[in-house]
Amino acid sequence: MGAVQVFDAVRTPRGRGKPGGGLYRARPVDLASATLAALVARSGLDTRVIDDVVLGCVTQAGEQGACIARTAALLAGYDQRVPGLTLNRFCGSGLDAILHAAGAIAAGQAQVVVAGGVESMSRVTMGSDGGALWEPRSQWAHGVVPQGVSADLLATLQDVARVEVDAFAAESQRRAAAAQTRGAFARSLVPVLDADGSVLLAEDECPRPDATPERLAALKPSFEGIGRLGLDDIARRAYPHVETVRHVHTAGNSSALADGAAAVLVADEARGRELGLRPRARLVAAAAVGSEPVVMLTGPLSATGRALARAGMTAPDVDLWEINEAFAVVPLNVMRTLGLDPARVNVHGGAIAFGHPLGATGAMLVGTLLDALEERDLAVGAVTLCVAGGMGVAAIFERV
Amino acid sequence: MDAILRGAEVRLDVDRDEGVATLTLDGARGVNALRTSFVTALDAAVQALRGLQGLTGVLLESAVQPWCVGADLDELWQVRDPARLREEVAALQRMLRALETCGAPVVALLDGAALGGGYELALACHRRVAVDRRDVRVGLPEVALGVIPGGGGTQRLPRLVGLQTALEVILGARVVSASEALALGLVDELAPDLPAARASARAWLATKPSPQQPWERASGGVPPPVPGSAEARDLALGAAARIVKRTAGALRAPQLALNAVVEGGRLDLDDGLAVEAAWFVRQVTSSEARAMLRTLWFHKRAAERHEGLPHVDDAGVRRVAVVGAGMMGAGLAYLAASRGFQVVLKDVSEAALAKAGAHVTARAEARAAKGGEAATAVLDRLTTTVDAKALAGTDLVIEAVFEDLELKRGVARELSPFLAEGALWTSNSSALPIGDQAEGFPRPERFLGLHFFSPVEAMPLVEVIRGPATSDQAVARALAFCRVLGKVPIVVHDGFGFYTTRVFAAYILEGATLVAEGHDPAVVEWAARAAGMAVGPLQVFDEVSLTLGEHVLAERARYGGAGAEGPGVRLVQRLLHEHDRKGRAHGRGFYDYADGKRRGLWPGLTALGAVTPPRRDAHHVTERLLYAQAVEAVRALDEGVVRRPQDADLGAVLGVGFAPNVGGPLAWLDARGATRAVADLERLAATAGPRYTPPRRLREMAAEATCFFPEEAP
Repeated sequence: MGAVQVFDAVRTPRGRGKPGGGLYRARPVDLASATLAALVARSGLDTRVIDDVVLGCVTQAGEQGACIARTAALLAGYDQRVPGLTLNRFCGSGLDAILHAAGAIAAGQAQVVVAGGVESMSRVTMGSDGGALWEPRSQWAHGVVPQGVSADLLATLQDVARVEVDAFAAESQRRAAAAQTRGAFARSLVPVLDADGSVLLAEDECPRPDATPERLAALKPSFEGIGRLGLDDIARRAYPHVETVRHVHTAGNSSALADGAAAVLVADEARGRELGLRPRARLVAAAAVGSEPVVMLTGPLSATGRALARAGMTAPDVDLWEINEAFAVVPLNVMRTLGLDPARVNVHGGAIAFGHPLGATGAMLVGTLLDALEERDLAVGAVTLCVAGGMGVAAIFERV
Repeated sequence: MDAILRGAEVRLDVDRDEGVATLTLDGARGVNALRTSFVTALDAAVQALRGLQGLTGVLLESAVQPWCVGADLDELWQVRDPARLREEVAALQRMLRALETCGAPVVALLDGAALGGGYELALACHRRVAVDRRDVRVGLPEVALGVIPGGGGTQRLPRLVGLQTALEVILGARVVSASEALALGLVDELAPDLPAARASARAWLATKPSPQQPWERASGGVPPPVPGSAEARDLALGAAARIVKRTAGALRAPQLALNAVVEGGRLDLDDGLAVEAAWFVRQVTSSEARAMLRTLWFHKRAAERHEGLPHVDDAGVRRVAVVGAGMMGAGLAYLAASRGFQVVLKDVSEAALAKAGAHVTARAEARAAKGGEAATAVLDRLTTTVDAKALAGTDLVIEAVFEDLELKRGVARELSPFLAEGALWTSNSSALPIGDQAEGFPRPERFLGLHFFSPVEAMPLVEVIRGPATSDQAVARALAFCRVLGKVPIVVHDGFGFYTTRVFAAYILEGATLVAEGHDPAVVEWAARAAGMAVGPLQVFDEVSLTLGEHVLAERARYGGAGAEGPGVRLVQRLLHEHDRKGRAHGRGFYDYADGKRRGLWPGLTALGAVTPPRRDAHHVTERLLYAQAVEAVRALDEGVVRRPQDADLGAVLGVGFAPNVGGPLAWLDARGATRAVADLERLAATAGPRYTPPRRLREMAAEATCFFPEEAP
């Protein structure tokens, strides 16, 4: 039983996650099967060697119900002997799928796993799966607020100002535009085709290169209304010293809703060599954590800390970071607390520009990270995402 | 009409020709309340109903006023065992279900107040017709008493009027007029009187309506949003957030009511009723419910009945003079005029009188718009004047001038010659001893304190203060007067600060002291509210103004009370004299204000604290604030200022906004137990100051294992 390695990563472009977006007419299962098929085509693998397909998907209702991973695999032409598993740890799901695969491989329960994620936010509305998390009893027990209020609470607690989150957002857009212009994603992007073979979407369509700090400053805070109605007071119950939540997040400095899918080929080192595959990186360490649910978005810090400790590393050992831009305050908080160089964080832009297809993003960030490490010939990368309900997940990769 | 059933509490008659039965609630012991015997009697009547041939409809009426008041709280109070309580609730719900499914449409004819379980009885009917009269009110006020509806209200009301309106009514503990009930959908029709209501009901029955509730019919449904939908979830989330905003999470009753509505709403009615029953039992057997019921129902009822107090049927008061046209004076003038008294409002300033007159006019017009008496009728009873002679024939004076002893004595001396023979002189002072005020007053036996609370139209408490010379007759007449005003009285004896101001001063001063010591002011305010206090100490300090606060503390010291020194007092003085922060009326105090609205705590406050960064220990803050008040209440009891523990708790909750969820300062001490309270106070005395020294009575209670409220009948 050797190291767990990543051999390939593909993803669809991200469409706007609302009716009328570029991938609105694509069923989520078709997005997923496109990535599964591409991975196999590129590797030349016989699908019978694949032990499992594990996909993250958050809103598992309607078109995303009924274990979408299994149907996606079958529609992608995978052999019937390849099972499928769909999992949900909210925004961390895509990374969690990869870590689940790695765990099975490390335990000797599998040797080759395709892991990734899918989400069509335009066709399956976020939150349409319900859940006890949002019920009154959760309020009385620990308190639950929508993610945006948590983000504003975190900004208030950490004294992050509106100009700072807007500046971060503008920079994400600038880096995204630069990356798109030079074709930084060319080797990972898989265009999504319509039933007749025509192209539905080939490039990420969410970025707004015109998003300057001035334009961003004019946007209204998105969560002030619901905050003032009482959600700020639920936040205050957990943080009594916060008299007023400063609402700094807007549509411009928060992640956009998006549609997309991603798939990553994960295998045991020896088996990969046996199959003639060339590894890109190995998984060094990972961690999933729970954190305070009301502020919700501080999980990346403790998850990263635990993963680094397991890796025997410290933050300076990491060359590049992908910290999901659910809201601008999330990466800003991690960067400040760990003392990270902004030039090493989200170097190709992030979810503020590209959008955040919930179940897929974690896997997309792994692909983006590997592309960026290879482009710059750097060695160690970390991926981390904040997760609703007050959780976090992080993983550290090293190029091989 | 044939008589079918004659019970002690319920009558059933049927008109054989029409096939319409009339079920009449007879109100044994005068009141229709859902006591066990009543439920049993109703159940028998419903069974008889179900056995009637050719039944086309049922009219449900009451023969007494109010229509039906809901649970018999005396009976409910006795049931401690959750299993037994669950059985009783189940029996009530079964009976209501049997009525609802009796096979004929049932119309409730509401010509009196139907509240709580009384309205739930009406909800189990298929139509509700209300007489449009001032005393006809409906609603589900259970949450205000620390319980939740247990007769199906959390399940039937949302299915009838939709989730949003149902939550407003249940969580807001709303009691509404007949016309507002119609607007909200709580009743289906209005009628000018009971005969007209009967006629309307008969006309409706003649259209052969369904004997089923709309949500139970195959074609029926519930008003949007669909239970379990995203919209319903968002509404519930908003309701939960508003509960936390309003209560800082201190009160469980609205929380459990929301649980019942949401969790029962997505099941069918029978299972939903079982969900309600489980949450009802959980809440009613909780210490919060028992504490709130004890104070807000039993203590309050005893106070309203003037138990143990001098009594007279008629105060002999027709003309009232209010002296001092400030905020309190204006409110008192309106209150007295609206209750039918002839009122003279006296001040030395025409400008003040004009402003007060405008206030009274505005209040009278607002009340008239809501179905109250015509504003002109109220205003006709009010005269404003600068002329002392206008007080001729006054039976009772309420003096509401500035808190200055010489000024008050001067006013009393100046005006007493103009009063009617046997007139009462009352002072609305919040702290100045009656004995001192009455010095030189010709008939001190008729001089007493009537300390009202602001805003006087809304605050139910009046603190009646006996001076050393005040006669029983004067007290009896004052109490009768207060009854007409609709106030809940506690009678206390004389001393600086009486009772409520002593507790209030302890609260606000402790808040200032905590800030001076370096506690985060935001935490001080939140911790107070999260413990159940109606308002944070710094906010309410601003309301009364730091100027008045400093003045009262200085006066307290002059009268031999606790010294006007210490870090809290010094902080108040610094705010007043170094930073010109006087309070809300001046636009800044502990908080900043803009356009009269609170904008936030002054950011400069934490710099005045002894420690930075500020301390954030909510538990310690809560302890300090509650014990500071509780120990003052014990001392007031010991000194004979307050008569009995009930008065101390009622006065604190209704007058000072003390946490109702723990019942009051003395009930709170009981819950901790005297032994623990003494230990806590010793620790606080050593670390925070001698004001916390445990009173000897508490030590004795610890030694004898006694408490303020032994748990037998209230």
